[in-house]
Amino acid sequence: MTVKIVTDTLSDIPDDVANKLGITLIPLTVSFGHESFLDRIEITSEEFYERLVREETIPTTTQPSPLTFANAYKNLAEESDEILVITLSGKLSGTYQSALNAKNSVNGICRIEVMDSQKIIMSFGLAVIAAAKMANAGAGIDEIITRTNARLENSQLVAYFDTLKYLAKGGRVGKAQGFVGSLLSVKPILTIKDGEMAPLTRVRSKAAGIDYLCNAVAATDNIESVGVEYCTTPEDAELLIERISSIVPRENIYKSIVCPVVGTYSGPGGLAVSIMQKPL
Amino acid sequence: MKQTDNIGGQQFLEMFAAATDWLEKSAPDIDALNVFPVPDGDTGTNMLLTMKSTIEHGFQNENDNASSVALSMANGALMGARGNSGVILSQFWAGLAQGLDNKESIDGRDFAAALEKASVVAYKGVSNPVEGTMLTVLKDASKSASLTAANGKGDLLSVLESTVSAASESVANTPTLLPVLREAGVVDSGGQGLFTILDGALRYLRGESELMQFRKPQIIASNVATTPITIVSHAKTEHEDEIPFGYCTEFLLKGKDLDPEKIKKHLLKKGQSLIVVGDDTTVRVHIHTLDPGEIFSYATSMGTIHSVSARNMDEQHQDYLEKQKNRAVPVKTSIVSIAAGEGLAKVFASLGVAAVVAGGQTMNPSTKDILMGVERAPSDNVIILPNNKNIVLAAQQVPALTEKNICVIPTVNVPQGVAALLAYDYEADMETNCEIMAEATKAVSSIEVTHSVRSCKIGGLDIKKKQAIGLLNGAIVAVQDAAKDVLYDVLEKAPLDKAEIITVYYGEDTEETEAEICGNEIREKYPHLQVEVVNGGQPHYNYIVSIE
Repeated sequence: MTVKIVTDTLSDIPDDVANKLGITLIPLTVSFGHESFLDRIEITSEEFYERLVREETIPTTTQPSPLTFANAYKNLAEESDEILVITLSGKLSGTYQSALNAKNSVNGICRIEVMDSQKIIMSFGLAVIAAAKMANAGAGIDEIITRTNARLENSQLVAYFDTLKYLAKGGRVGKAQGFVGSLLSVKPILTIKDGEMAPLTRVRSKAAGIDYLCNAVAATDNIESVGVEYCTTPEDAELLIERISSIVPRENIYKSIVCPVVGTYSGPGGLAVSIMQKPL
Repeated sequence: MKQTDNIGGQQFLEMFAAATDWLEKSAPDIDALNVFPVPDGDTGTNMLLTMKSTIEHGFQNENDNASSVALSMANGALMGARGNSGVILSQFWAGLAQGLDNKESIDGRDFAAALEKASVVAYKGVSNPVEGTMLTVLKDASKSASLTAANGKGDLLSVLESTVSAASESVANTPTLLPVLREAGVVDSGGQGLFTILDGALRYLRGESELMQFRKPQIIASNVATTPITIVSHAKTEHEDEIPFGYCTEFLLKGKDLDPEKIKKHLLKKGQSLIVVGDDTTVRVHIHTLDPGEIFSYATSMGTIHSVSARNMDEQHQDYLEKQKNRAVPVKTSIVSIAAGEGLAKVFASLGVAAVVAGGQTMNPSTKDILMGVERAPSDNVIILPNNKNIVLAAQQVPALTEKNICVIPTVNVPQGVAALLAYDYEADMETNCEIMAEATKAVSSIEVTHSVRSCKIGGLDIKKKQAIGLLNGAIVAVQDAAKDVLYDVLEKAPLDKAEIITVYYGEDTEETEAEICGNEIREKYPHLQVEVVNGGQPHYNYIVSIE
């Protein structure tokens, strides 16, 4: 029986890819003040960025309730004996905790394994896609877990923020603190390290940022897949894809929109590449 | 579903009980921010203990009448107030209770009015209010609350939301108002504490109690450059005045016909950070003094003293320094930069250098000056950016004089220095960084505009004394009477077709308005370029321009 794969919408796996591969996407909740929306179901990414720019309030995101996960588990348990759940970094959200609590609440309906990816957006989304492909090809859950861990360990994320405004506004600058307050206009390049956002370097223009992202791909061997993501500028994503398609076959490049959780900090104009190597 | 428009006394109490739990999670972080008025690292703890007493007294009142509960809480705050921040917090509560007088329940308008009262009372409680502290945060928050309430959003949730968002902005702004915070690279700890309490209350009201168990309050980031920065200058020697902090002396005075104003007047000259608050039967006194005995004997002449404490702040300060040392994030590599002019020093500081050594064209720092900057940098690996060709040599002497591992990137001007600094890779080791940074200097062209000190002929140019001359990457290519005209001439000759960003640093002899006009003309002439005009404050050079 095929292993069922579950993840959250923060994986940034596009809906058509998820549908095709049979991945269950559990939505987070995005709130602007009093109004709450289920990510992707009640608010599109385009609408999210539009409101982010227009409104003063900083949107907040809330993890899915354990009940949402539990319901998904129950539905999937009717079709399979094994469910693998892969969530975004437990350091950045309570989603992992929710998924785990839900597992305990439906105790015994079937085997359920919950993994904390320690990553965000496509830097774990790509591993989820690979896991679903393995599952569809008939791999067992233990083999999938081993491979997924190997993929996650070496997955890289390089993100370009077009502005520092939202990073400062959100307050969660952490190790990127040194980037805020610069007297010159600079654009940060960030990554995720030990489950949290961390600075890589700074550039002064978007063109230089795109160069940096392309170079990160060019400097990596043995690439299995790449995720190219944008916030509000699909044309930049197309440009990036065109430039890296000489290194990575086009069918192994996934294009998507950066989810609201990261978007809240990047603001409009941000770009990200996630690079996944083939597991040894 | 919880009521969020209008709440009774018990819910009000529960809301701040949740806020106190929220504060508790953050107390150690707030302690670490504490630099004003005395860096003794206990603001978070003091505010927490004060809040705990506030809540405990509140719970003894089972009435659902808001004004009655608020009064019990205010009494608890006064009884349990600890430290400077705790006493000010108790005044916040006293004012809030006064503002809620006769209120059965509380809606947004009531809360806004009570906050306003709290702000007034808190200011009054402090003998010399300082802006950039908890007081400012309270004032800003209450203003925003009143504005929201006046604009027809009278429900408690809307008012509290605007209160918290204004408090957050106000906290971020504290280093702008209070230099000691800016120097330390932190926001005000008391302000942060107050924000955390209000934020906790808001989260409770939003029904996020469960979520709060997994989360931690955020420490607001400063909205100004907060890189702690050492400026090494050869003009003066560093000397820190060692004034003892004395004893943080606190007690509750109970008696009859007490007059807080009179007591305040009497104690005003006996120490710093004086706060005297209360009524004719109970008065809380907080003062930083060198002689607590004198204060106690004065107090006992009027009544009985309770909850007496006199903490040695010099000892606390030492502990605090130790704690900070342990907390300091060890950096692998730091960067020391040489720059002339306050503006340029600030630019480098804002980009994260560990120390700026003063010096430039005609005031070259000595090797020893640079060495001092290197020794102060908080890491064993240090990268030096000389930023002037006459300083490169002095910088290159430094490695022989220190045990630290040094790399000199031979940047010959400011644009090269900035380009190198920006290219710094946080994940790479020192060797790789030296390569990346040296490489980055090649991608930038520089223009310098200065005045000729004598008449001469160079490269076919006839230069009269005091005329403005323009250098492109170190070579003189233009001469004019006016500095800005020279700048335009040099730009014509510069490789602009592949450039994206022009940064104009104007010097101390150049007016800001002229620089702005210059910037606008460049923008008009070269619309494909992004032009930034920055006050460099450098001597001798009217303009230093980087082309990237």
